[in-house]
Amino acid sequence: MAAQPDVISVTDLRRHYGEVKAVDGVSFEVHKGEVFGLLGPNGAGKTTTIEILEGLNRADSGSISVLGFDPTHQADQLKERIGVQLQAASLYPDLSVTELVELFATFYARRLPSDRLITQLGLDERRGALTKELSGGQRQRLSIALALVNDPELIFLDEPTTGLDPQGRRSLWEHIERLRGEGRTVLLTTHYMEEAEQLCDRVAIIDHGKILEIGAVDELISRHFSERTLRFRSRAEISDSQLAGLRDVSRVNHEDDEVVLHTSNVPRTIAALLELAEAAGAGDLDVVVRRPTLEDVFLELTGRALRD
Amino acid sequence: MRGFLPLTIANIKSFYRNRAALFWTLAFPVIFIVLFGSIFSGGNQTFPLALVDEDHSQVSAQLITGFDNVSILEAEQVDREEALAHMQSGEFAGVLIIPQGAAASLAGGQTVSLTLITDPSRQTATTALQQVVGQVVASMNLRLTNAPTLLTIQPQTMQTQNISDAAYFVPSILAMALMQLGVFASIPLVSQREKQILKRLAATPLSRVTFVASNVVMRLIIAALQTILIVGIGAWLFGVTVVGNVLVVIGFIVLGALTFLAIGYIIAAWARTEETANAGTSIVQFPLMFLSGIFFPISFMPEWLQPVAAAMPLTYLADALRQTMVGGAAYAGLGVDALVLGAWMVICFLIAGRFFRWQ
Repeated sequence: MAAQPDVISVTDLRRHYGEVKAVDGVSFEVHKGEVFGLLGPNGAGKTTTIEILEGLNRADSGSISVLGFDPTHQADQLKERIGVQLQAASLYPDLSVTELVELFATFYARRLPSDRLITQLGLDERRGALTKELSGGQRQRLSIALALVNDPELIFLDEPTTGLDPQGRRSLWEHIERLRGEGRTVLLTTHYMEEAEQLCDRVAIIDHGKILEIGAVDELISRHFSERTLRFRSRAEISDSQLAGLRDVSRVNHEDDEVVLHTSNVPRTIAALLELAEAAGAGDLDVVVRRPTLEDVFLELTGRALRD
Repeated sequence: MRGFLPLTIANIKSFYRNRAALFWTLAFPVIFIVLFGSIFSGGNQTFPLALVDEDHSQVSAQLITGFDNVSILEAEQVDREEALAHMQSGEFAGVLIIPQGAAASLAGGQTVSLTLITDPSRQTATTALQQVVGQVVASMNLRLTNAPTLLTIQPQTMQTQNISDAAYFVPSILAMALMQLGVFASIPLVSQREKQILKRLAATPLSRVTFVASNVVMRLIIAALQTILIVGIGAWLFGVTVVGNVLVVIGFIVLGALTFLAIGYIIAAWARTEETANAGTSIVQFPLMFLSGIFFPISFMPEWLQPVAAAMPLTYLADALRQTMVGGAAYAGLGVDALVLGAWMVICFLIAGRFFRWQ
């Protein structure tokens, strides 16, 4: 993968709105054929960054190359070759699915057959429906179809699954995974770490306009955690100091009403934990063993949970 | 201009599927024209006339029979007090009084003068009553003097500068509809910006010039539909036909549509949300509607309001259409109309272009 040329290259990108530093010195590369994720909470600067790359917003400073073009000055050539899905953008409410896909196709020199796109995105049964009659998931799939009308080599997806139910989210993930299978490069933003873990080859964790970490998901996790976590519902009978004294436990955290123990030896810590629970009269504990997630990495980096 | 034609077709489809837009731009002017037409059309108008007989003689009875036979009068015999009271309240257009002792005076060879009271503010009624009463009295004179009828009047009409009510309001309503079409163009634009449709389009190679051109052409196509509808109904129901040069009429329709479209674009530049755009259209359209002499001539307005009307672009569009379509009297010359509209159009397009935000 390292041998592939970079599709996007960003160096020290900055965009300030008055006192607010929306993007504050961001640098990263996106390789050809990968799914790259910008992961961060709302207001982290993800949308500003992606819109600068799409040529919809301008940078205050920094150098940017997208498919070899400068989005600020060569937006026209760039727009022919990228596919874009905007966060929260709606569509012409009074046009049908077919009409809208065909309309967008006419804006480009290079076009995919709209029939095939509609079928691919699973919208066959809704061809004649007006876009205002579509469900949230159908609307997101339609906006991906619109991003594909010009057969782009690079696709930008801004929060593609926000507002969808778990089922709709999973269905959309399949479509995004197929894009990678077709050899397209995808840059997506998300504030769902689960989504980033599922879809992205590499992620950049972004907060307050700065990139905190970049790398493959596994790499990021192992960079910060060599350990596993034990999770269980917290009990009044067991104190944190008791837990911290258990064998091989390196750290004790709380997430919502759960206790999270970090351990370098899972069997020994579980045995000690169950013993402690019994001695304290806390009854049976439901213990879940997990490797740390991107959520934990984010928590580690910022001291805050990623979830809203 | 890639995408121009498909985008225009998509715009027209969106417009056609939007019931509210369809109603305000096409159905509303039609309702207006039919309503106004029914209220003001002067085709079979009659005038209620009170006859006050204070003589109670054979002569006065004969005179009253004479009035009964005139079809455009609704003559009714009442006493003086009632006649004056009902005249005051507007039920009678006029009162004719036959004084006491009229028959006796006539028998003695003396001239009798009848009193005809009319309201000068009801100009049409005053003119009609004075003519009709004059004719009836003249024929009565002949009968009383037993002179042979040598001269009679053959009534004929002739179209003059003084156009009919229907001919006045058909061009007015066309002007009003074109104004609304332009001003209302702001609402879908603001809605498309609010919903980020404009931003989504900006992410495609579609150029802004193509987008604006498509929007303008779509509005002009609707303007053509409005014109056909309004002129058609005017001709069909009220017999108002276009007497002027059709090309000049079309020229003014296009100029007017573009001028008000430019004003609509200013509203779209100013309004952040669809609600404020809606409010903006009201703020603009109602003063234009009532201060532009489209419902009544500007000379009927209070004097202090007349300069306001003189500044309104709709005044000049309605004036130009009235002159070119039905040969109405000029408020300003056609050159002045074109100049004022053109100036409004250029200035408004410049302002809109300067302040319009795409996202």
